[in-house]
Amino acid sequence: MTKIRINNIEVEAGNDQTILDAALMAGVSIPTLCHKDGVEHYSSCMVCMVKDNKKNNYIPSCTALAQEDMDIDASGEEVISIRKKAIELLLSEHRAECEAQCRVVCPGGYNIPLMNRLLAAGDIEKAMMLSFSEVKSGEIKCLTCAGYCENACRRKKIDAPVSIRNIKIFVAQHSDKYTEGKLLNSGDSKELSDSLNTENHPYNKKQFSSRIGRLETSEQNEWLKECTGDRTRYRTITDFKTAGDEAANCMRCDCRAAADCRLRELAGEFSVKDPKGKVVNSPVVKKINHRTGLIFENAKCIKCGLCVRVCEDRTDEPALCFINRGFISIISEPLTEEFVNILATQTDICIDVCPTGALSRFK
Amino acid sequence: MAGEEDNTTTRNCNCQPADTQNITSVVDEVLKETGREKDKVILILQEVQKRLNYLPSEALKHICRVTDITPGQISGVSTFYSQFRHIPAGKHTIKICAGTACHVKGSQLISEAFRRVLKIDDSQNTSPDNLFSIEEVACLGCCTLAPVVQIDEKTYGHVRPTQTDEIIQDFLQSQGKTLNTTDKNQPDIIDAEVRIGLGSCCVAGGSKEILSRLIEIKEIYDLNIRLKPVGCVGVCNQTPLLEIVRDQNNHVRYTNVKKDQVEEILLKHIKPRSLNKRMKYRINDLADTFLSDDMLNSPVNLSSDLREKYLNNFTKNQIRQATVNSGILSPASLDEYLLLDGFRALKKSLFFSKPAEIIDIILRSGLRGRGGAGFLTGRKWDISSGTSGNVKYVVCNGDEGDPGAFMDRMLLESFPFRIIEGMLIAGYSTGASEGIFYIRAEYPLAVTRVRNAIQLCYEKGFLGKNILNSGFTFNARIFEGAGAFVCGEETALIASLEGKRGTPHLRPPYPAVKGFFGNPTLVNNVETLALVPWIINNGVEAFSSVGTEKSKGTKVFALAGKISKGGLIEVPMGITIREIIEEIGDGVADGRSFKAVQIGGPSGGCIPATMSDTPIDYEELTKMGAMMGSGGLVVLDDTDCMVDMAKYFLTFTHKQSCGKCTFCRIGTKHMLDMLTRLSEGKAELSEIDDLERLCQYVKDGSLCGLGKTAPNPVITGLRYFREEYEAHAKGYCPAKKCRELIKYSISDKCTGCTKCYQECPVNAIGFKPYERHEIDQQLCTKCDNCRVVCPVNAVEIVNQNDKDQN
Repeated sequence: MTKIRINNIEVEAGNDQTILDAALMAGVSIPTLCHKDGVEHYSSCMVCMVKDNKKNNYIPSCTALAQEDMDIDASGEEVISIRKKAIELLLSEHRAECEAQCRVVCPGGYNIPLMNRLLAAGDIEKAMMLSFSEVKSGEIKCLTCAGYCENACRRKKIDAPVSIRNIKIFVAQHSDKYTEGKLLNSGDSKELSDSLNTENHPYNKKQFSSRIGRLETSEQNEWLKECTGDRTRYRTITDFKTAGDEAANCMRCDCRAAADCRLRELAGEFSVKDPKGKVVNSPVVKKINHRTGLIFENAKCIKCGLCVRVCEDRTDEPALCFINRGFISIISEPLTEEFVNILATQTDICIDVCPTGALSRFK
Repeated sequence: MAGEEDNTTTRNCNCQPADTQNITSVVDEVLKETGREKDKVILILQEVQKRLNYLPSEALKHICRVTDITPGQISGVSTFYSQFRHIPAGKHTIKICAGTACHVKGSQLISEAFRRVLKIDDSQNTSPDNLFSIEEVACLGCCTLAPVVQIDEKTYGHVRPTQTDEIIQDFLQSQGKTLNTTDKNQPDIIDAEVRIGLGSCCVAGGSKEILSRLIEIKEIYDLNIRLKPVGCVGVCNQTPLLEIVRDQNNHVRYTNVKKDQVEEILLKHIKPRSLNKRMKYRINDLADTFLSDDMLNSPVNLSSDLREKYLNNFTKNQIRQATVNSGILSPASLDEYLLLDGFRALKKSLFFSKPAEIIDIILRSGLRGRGGAGFLTGRKWDISSGTSGNVKYVVCNGDEGDPGAFMDRMLLESFPFRIIEGMLIAGYSTGASEGIFYIRAEYPLAVTRVRNAIQLCYEKGFLGKNILNSGFTFNARIFEGAGAFVCGEETALIASLEGKRGTPHLRPPYPAVKGFFGNPTLVNNVETLALVPWIINNGVEAFSSVGTEKSKGTKVFALAGKISKGGLIEVPMGITIREIIEEIGDGVADGRSFKAVQIGGPSGGCIPATMSDTPIDYEELTKMGAMMGSGGLVVLDDTDCMVDMAKYFLTFTHKQSCGKCTFCRIGTKHMLDMLTRLSEGKAELSEIDDLERLCQYVKDGSLCGLGKTAPNPVITGLRYFREEYEAHAKGYCPAKKCRELIKYSISDKCTGCTKCYQECPVNAIGFKPYERHEIDQQLCTKCDNCRVVCPVNAVEIVNQNDKDQN
């Protein structure tokens, strides 16, 4: 056993125990991003930094071993400052958005992307349920709104904005009659129930959101991969089918992990200001494996390496790996493989372990 | 510089990929030699690339099929190290050194010149005819010949951008011609021994041609001499260097020897045995005297005092411990090494001392790690000896990647037996039985010399089982680094030995306790090991009497940059920077004024001229904000810009970062962006404060030494030259170096000779004979050609913003 002090609390750490684990025993919780219990530590994100008061230096607690007589500061001002900087640096290359622009600018905070997805998938009841929860009868704001949503729609720069306003008006007008008297049950849509049950409904502007400015042309082409429709455009919405077809042109600007992202959570916790001028280390790509449902978005990757460490890389079932070195290192399928051929049986493990929205289920 | 490079993207380079069957059979052949274990992956990739010119995807697939190496491992490793390429290269590779000394001498311009001449644009690396590929490399280790270019095995020094055509032609012509550099006739009784330095720099300076000519002359006149290639003498600015030794007291030295001077030099001191030959020479000599003026300038006619003066000044303040017998020892001869005290320290250790006693000697001597960190070597050995494990290792860290440093290369090339001896003593005292020489792949000569030395040692019983009948068994092998500066960090080095990406990890656990595959591993720098035999032979007092209180002994430095006489020097700790520059290096070159000296490469910092009385000492340098580092000492003058230097170093560290930790990976990128904007006059004054704060974060938050020291050039730059940074924020570069802030202009000194028009590669100067020429600023690329060729110095560099504040 080794005696150390964390935040002036005496802790008896086991042999070869990390400061992170020892701190937990003392009731001191330290934030982490690239660390997961049971997986070999990697000390990449540096969010778990603590200060060694004797040596006057900073060390990552997920990897640092508790040594006799250590005096650790796990929550002082300097420690908070360096953790905050780590998060800020990670955000500076996080070229992605938590919430879609259309929702952010909507005066009503309507969850437009979700509405589009439900309509495109033919889940008309759920779409109406969503609308009913957002728009009270007789108060369809869109009718008098200038349509900021369409102005902000990223599709506008490609061909034409998604006809959000008309879709929303149509759905709102029809859901009133339809759901009257029916039980409100979100059914098997986790996304819908999440949306209905969080404080983020309608949209909560106070929550931290990662934002980017204009998309480059190459980025636009990648984002278009999210569209599920046949790209026919409709301005006038006459029925639910037209609504669904037009909604399928949505590029899904919001992040699949918006409610489940550790980076977003920590940015909020540490009151980090979202940096401007985000630069990604390599061309923005969205890789989709339609068989397994895995989607990888490198703009959201923080290079924590959890997906690499947690999967077993085998020649018969290759996994993800790091490619390149330094700032341009990325997570990718191995050079000798195609993205559609990797992780046949380990996709879910990867998706669950990813702390951001970089690896998600495409559906 | 070409933009961020991703070596996996396929580019349109017209190269023909090898066919599949050929590929798989090559791979199978390689695997027979190397073995199939996972940790051999780097060696396997190196051998495959040697045979196929690059790593075709099919080769990688086949390796995964027939070994335990996984697709993820092979992809991760082959893209991490700079040596590997996934698209074919041209038939010949032009390596343009972008090391510190070369950078200050204008390597960027040379790179641009080659790209222009070979029609290679920034997005490619191979010429359209596939003949040449260009690579900007971190450092070739020939700094005193800066700027340096290496085409395949041939090195060219002092290259000028206007010479690119010439060099390419010279290279193509030399293909197929082999120089005879082996002297078959080595008589026992001789009139004289003629020594010629053959380190890498010497070769770059043309020493091989001199040796070849020596052999010719020896044969023509049937001279009774022995020709001996020796290791590096350190006087790199005076090579080719010839020394003629008649007996104990009769040494004569000639510097900067040219091929056509060899005959006269040799025959002045050595008489041909036969009368016929003597007559032949006299006749030739007389004829030459009448027919040419060259002989008037012949070095033979200079008094030896003058000739020797520079050499003496250069060497008199040096103390040789690591480089003992420099210029005398032939690196290939074990017998000679033994004759001159070689392996005496090893015998002393094996037969007359206990391991603990040796460690005590090293500890008391005060020897500190010469790789840069300066950790007490004796303590490291002590920790290492106290651990138990199946097998214990000693690793000689020869991954010297500092641009501007080549001391370790010199030591490995010139004194391979000494390093082996040091390693053996380390192994004996710490209980290790396996040794690994980790040598950069960019040092092929060092690899060859050490490999040959190891073989000789095995043959004569200095390596292997039961060495010299002492009962001590020790095996040694070589591992060639695949091109990653970060692998100089001991945990990253060990990771690469294990066949992984070279990413460091936090210590503890220390490699001395848990290293290579979990076994105790002692990692020591080349120079550290080279000093061990000297300490054992001469004792604690002798070693610790040299140097300062905390920094004992000597240090080898690579003195380069804007110095008159650069080279490799070994000086006592405690010598001041001023003494090194003025007394040994003969002052700043070209009459310019001394501005600062960069110590410790990209991890170090600059010490301004005003502080040049700082003694060389670990703690003193750290106090100044710099770092001893591995020994690179680059001298800067008033035409060097501190912002440009910082940008140069950050470019290096950013590219070499392993990418694991947030602060180094992203922080160095941001620092580089800020410095770039500053150098282009696009940054505000307040951003300098942002830069300073970021530097502190990166220093505190990085995982390893690379990241922690990457901000040093900026931090010291701001500490001593803040006005220069602020000037850039205001839009001008005081040193007139940063291209966006300067322009070239022709003054009225112009005589209209049209030379500038001829040399301008982009036709920015109109043809106006006898009139004052003008530069079209829209077209000008600031390549500097016009200024260099102008015979009347009419081309000036002025600040764009006309705020010429001196």
